[in-house]
Amino acid sequence: MAVCIAVIAKENYPLYIRSTPTENELKFHYMVHTSLDVVDEKISAMGKALVDQRELYLGLLYPTEDYKVYGYVTNSKVKFVMVVDSSNTALRDNEIRSVSAGDWRTTPGWWMFRKLHNSYTDVMCNPFYNPGDRIQSRAFDNMVMSMMIQVC
Amino acid sequence: MSRQANRGTESKKMSSELFTLTYGALVTQLCKDYENDEDVNKQLDKMGYNIGVRLIEDFLARSNVGRCHDFRETADVIAKVAFKMYLGITPSITNWSPAGDEFSLILENNPLVDFVELPDNHSSLIYSNLLCGVLRGALEMVQMAVEAKFVQDTLKGDGVTEIRMRFIRRIEDNLPAGEE
Repeated sequence: MAVCIAVIAKENYPLYIRSTPTENELKFHYMVHTSLDVVDEKISAMGKALVDQRELYLGLLYPTEDYKVYGYVTNSKVKFVMVVDSSNTALRDNEIRSVSAGDWRTTPGWWMFRKLHNSYTDVMCNPFYNPGDRIQSRAFDNMVMSMMIQVC
Repeated sequence: MSRQANRGTESKKMSSELFTLTYGALVTQLCKDYENDEDVNKQLDKMGYNIGVRLIEDFLARSNVGRCHDFRETADVIAKVAFKMYLGITPSITNWSPAGDEFSLILENNPLVDFVELPDNHSSLIYSNLLCGVLRGALEMVQMAVEAKFVQDTLKGDGVTEIRMRFIRRIEDNLPAGEE
C-alpha cells in the first residue's frame, strides 16, 4: 500500500525511514524532505485549532505524478510521513469520499497512521530506546513492512 | 500489579505502564552502571532477594495462607496467590521432576517486559532476573532454600517465559527456639 514510511523528529531529522523498492531510496528521501515544509505550513496554518481538536492527521500533503504524500503529527511534534502509490485506487477513492463527508476517522489513511502512532508509542516505552535516536526495533520494522506489503 | 496503600487486605490498582517503565528505568540504569550483563544479572538478583525477604512478611500478613506441607503446595501458593497478588498474573506450574523437588513456572505474559526489546549488545542480560531473587529471598525466610532461574524468556525469542525452581534443602539452623 505505502511505498515509503518515515518518522521525523521534532527537530526535523529522520528517526526512521524505510521504502520499497529500495533502489529508489534517495528519491523517497527527497520526497519526504520536501513534504516537511508542507507539514510545517499546515501546522502553523491550523495553529491553535489543531492543538485544541487534538486532530493529528494532516491528510494529503501534496500529490506528485506517481505518488501521494500523507502526513500526521503527534502532540509532541513528531511527524509521520507516508508516500503512497497514486495508482492505488482503493485508498484514494475512500479518501475522497470521506473527506467530503468531513470525517477523517473513517479513512484508511487515518487508521494506518493510528497504527503507526501506537507502534511508535511502544518503541518510546522500550527502556532500551533513547528518545531522539534512530529507531531500530524489530517490532516497529515488522509493523511498517506489513503496512507496505498490504495491498501491493 | 496491585499494591496496598494502607495495610488492609484489599489491593489497590496502579498503572501497569508506570510499573513497567519504572522497572525498565531500573534495569537500564544498572546496565549503564555495570560493564557487563553478568554483573547486572547478579545485581538484579540481589535486589530481588532484598525485596523478597521483606515481601514475605507482607505476603503472609495479607494472604492468610497457612503453612505448606510439601513443595507442591508451596508451588501452588506462589503461582495462584503470590503472583496474582503482586503482579496480577497466574503462572501455570508444569514440568515437575520425578522427585518432586523441581518445577517450572510458565508466565504467559510477563508484565515486566511490556514494550521491551533487548538490544543485540545485551544478549546475556536476564531482564526479569529480579523475580528470581524475590522468590529465593521470600522462600528463604520460610526456611526453604531454593534455586530459581530463567530457562526461557520471551525477550530472547521463546514462546513463553519459564522460571525453573529447584528445592535445595530446608533451613533448620536458624529456627528460633520454641518453634516447631
